Amino acid sequence: MPIRRLPDELISRIAAGEVIERPAAAVKELVENALDAGARRIDVTLAGGGQRSLIVSDDGHGMSRAELLLAVERHATSKLPEDDLVNIRTLGFRGEALPSIGAVSRLRLQSRARGAGEAWALDVDAGAVGAPAPAAQPGGTRVEVHDLFYPVPARLKFLKNARTESGHASDAIKRLAMAHPNVAFSLVDDERTVLTLPTTLGDQSEQRLERLGRVLGRDFADNALKVAAERPGVRLSGFIGLPTLNRAGAQWQYLFVNGRPVRDRLLLGAVRGAYQDLLARDRHPMVALFLDIDPADVDVNVHPTKAEVRFRDGALVRGLIVGALRHTLAEAGHRASTTVGIATVEAARPAFFHPGGNYGGGSQPRLADAMRFQAPSGMAAGRQAGYDAPAGRPEAVAQVNGSAYPLGAARAQLHTTYVVAETADGVVIVDQHAAHERLVFERIKAALASTGVARQLLLVPEIVELGSAEADHLLARGEELAALGLVIEAFGDGAVVVREVPALLGDTDLQGLLRDLADDLAGFDQALSLHDRLSEVCATMACHSSVRAGRVLSSAEMNALLREMEATPHAGQCGHGRPTYVELKLSDIERLFGRR
Amino acid sequence: MKLRIERAALLKSLQHMQSVVERRNTIPILSNVLLDASGAKLALTATDLDLWMVEHVAATVEQPGGTTVPAQTLYDIVRKLPDGAEVELVTETDGRLLVRAGRSRFHLPSLDREDFPLMPDGDLPHRFNLAAADLRRLIEKTRFAISTEETRYYLTGIYLHAAKTETGTTLRAVATDGHRLARIETALPKGAAQIPGVIVPRKVVTEMYRLIEGADDDVALSLSDSKIRAEFNGAVLTSKLIDGTFPDYQRVIPSGNDKMLEVDAKAFAAAIDRVSTVSTEKSRAVKIALEKGKATLSASSAENASATEELAVGYDAASIEIGFNARYLIEILGEIDGESAEFAFADAVSPTIVRDTTDQGALYVLMPMRV
Repeated sequence: MPIRRLPDELISRIAAGEVIERPAAAVKELVENALDAGARRIDVTLAGGGQRSLIVSDDGHGMSRAELLLAVERHATSKLPEDDLVNIRTLGFRGEALPSIGAVSRLRLQSRARGAGEAWALDVDAGAVGAPAPAAQPGGTRVEVHDLFYPVPARLKFLKNARTESGHASDAIKRLAMAHPNVAFSLVDDERTVLTLPTTLGDQSEQRLERLGRVLGRDFADNALKVAAERPGVRLSGFIGLPTLNRAGAQWQYLFVNGRPVRDRLLLGAVRGAYQDLLARDRHPMVALFLDIDPADVDVNVHPTKAEVRFRDGALVRGLIVGALRHTLAEAGHRASTTVGIATVEAARPAFFHPGGNYGGGSQPRLADAMRFQAPSGMAAGRQAGYDAPAGRPEAVAQVNGSAYPLGAARAQLHTTYVVAETADGVVIVDQHAAHERLVFERIKAALASTGVARQLLLVPEIVELGSAEADHLLARGEELAALGLVIEAFGDGAVVVREVPALLGDTDLQGLLRDLADDLAGFDQALSLHDRLSEVCATMACHSSVRAGRVLSSAEMNALLREMEATPHAGQCGHGRPTYVELKLSDIERLFGRR
Repeated sequence: MKLRIERAALLKSLQHMQSVVERRNTIPILSNVLLDASGAKLALTATDLDLWMVEHVAATVEQPGGTTVPAQTLYDIVRKLPDGAEVELVTETDGRLLVRAGRSRFHLPSLDREDFPLMPDGDLPHRFNLAAADLRRLIEKTRFAISTEETRYYLTGIYLHAAKTETGTTLRAVATDGHRLARIETALPKGAAQIPGVIVPRKVVTEMYRLIEGADDDVALSLSDSKIRAEFNGAVLTSKLIDGTFPDYQRVIPSGNDKMLEVDAKAFAAAIDRVSTVSTEKSRAVKIALEKGKATLSASSAENASATEELAVGYDAASIEIGFNARYLIEILGEIDGESAEFAFADAVSPTIVRDTTDQGALYVLMPMRV
């Protein structure tokens, strides 16, 4: 078969395949266009998961008749005014979105340029551009995409069901919405309104928190810590969840570079590094971070859908993120997420109502919710009974003024396992073993950091065969590894020889350790495995030298434990992200008793 | 099968059997001991599929035959029987084994002896005799250095081989975990000159040691490239060897160490133990500062505790300061039988040699720590 030039339509369809791989991608491109057009309100309507039709309308600055025609041509854009790929300040810039969508669907554009008296419409059918016709359209642009992928049956075959596809579309919108709290969004899916995000008020960080709360849930907003840090040319802001608010997957980590949602390994690795030894390996924090960086210092033109970016100084960005997050988390100190306390209350509620309750079957949480509203009048008698039969008197303890300390004054020890303390506005229950273990762990870690890791020299150096890329990765970070007690040298192509190991690891599996380290460096750019193993040893030592459950504590001991928890960073959770204490607010307790 | 046997003889043999049997097995019959009575002997066999232990014990056999029963249970029963009891073992018609002694009766479930795994055949061409005491010394003084790290399987045993030295050929046992090394040699027994270098697994070493505990007779050892057999007092232990290459250990034993220290082994070990008390880290590091006639031991912890102790020692070379893992030092010093130990240092980052001044066949190498 002779070589021939492909027809233009085919080229367009191939190109479309890179940018528009599913309806959500079209949604993302169109919403980004709307944002770049300065819209204050963007409405998206989907049908059949966005495949049958998807409509994005905005109130941005719109397009004139001539611009409409240009917009559907490949590599035509309004977004690179100076032909400068270095200084990109808009979300889009490649000039590919509209022609790509047009090549694989029936596309209708309707727009009225700001200040113009007339609106124009333009149809594109599988790449064939029609003639502009007058249309009725208020200010802004409306893009309708029907029968997406109908000219490419292969792509159509690989679409998931409508539900999954609209889920992806909704995700794409949420991401963009988080970055633009001052723009109102709505999403209607098969005539059901699934997302309404009004414009937010206040300063930037209030706006953001408000928007994040709406998108990620109240939990996040209640348990978020504000992050703000700056280095020359880079600014990091946003919110991160307390370690006790963790998830099984990393998909709750939202990262934005100059307002553009990205899923970048360097950034995700930095987040992981910052939360290290606050969370178990398989738990992930929730974060929404916004990185503002001089556009000249970041290359967004790496990936067709711009999910990955490249930084000119990756180490600076990583350092900024890890440093800022660690600082923020350390400042939060012993704060544990309120979800724990609320969950406790919710768990206690049905059990509390059960004895007198007359409901049978049904879902408990919903009943509990219903009770919350019905309770006040009906429960008055029960409350009275509660007053008449006082429970066992708490152990009399030395007079510590509870309101003076965040974790309050110790009042009693229950089951020789839990310390109960009274605070200014609630009750704190501390798991004495978990709490003390964390304190000892932090102390051991601090000691290790101050003295350095003692290194055992190897009599028989261990040769570890790796790929040459992996070996280079490891060797390039030799100094950092040496500080952690691991000394390696190059040993021919693709192999390294281990000369010294951290003495506290003893006789250990070096092959496995080095392989894991090489993976870590390739994947996250950090020596996580080595940190992990050292921490593990510290954790075991901590576990053995901390107060066990079952040990009777005097009130002086209990108060000392509470004071030390307040003074120790990360004291709110044990090494696996489980809380070391829960706090029940007085208001929660009042709710339990139907006083609210 | 029907037989009578002395409790003490049976107990001693069952002790060997139950230690071969793994505590948890996916193949049920591996938890059992095979009993086989014929002539005037009871043969007991236990295995973990790598190692077979067969032992013959004198018994009064009334009816030859055999069966397999849970080794641990049988051992526990015999252990709890009174001293001097005579035990009767009888296979019953329902397949169970009756154990009777005095007025106690036990019925144990059995599994078909035909299902008991047979020892794979194989020729063991090299055969020699070694005094039990010599074998005990080879094991005793090397086994502390055996690696426990399964990924370096070739270090998880004792390397046994014939080595040529200036004074002739010797039988050598070497073990190392990559941090320290022990090399013990003994006069080459007749018939051992041509033996292949073999790595004897830790478990075999332990079982062999248990077998010859406190005895003075000769042990007959047979070897091939892949198997080892030890025969002793009616017991035969046969095992697979570790299939791997032991590293060229001679290369890591330095020859130019010229800073010699002579020290009372027990006093030195006790001082190290005392000083290392303050260190709370997992790897208890101890520093040794040497000057003419004096050693100063010191240790410290991150919590600001510290300890020092001075010792009068035989040292005449240039001053040196060197750190070690205290546990490694104490373990090596524990193997020194003579009064004094002789250390040979080069510098703070090179291997150190330790010798027993009364035993030239023992040599230990220890790598320092950076502290």
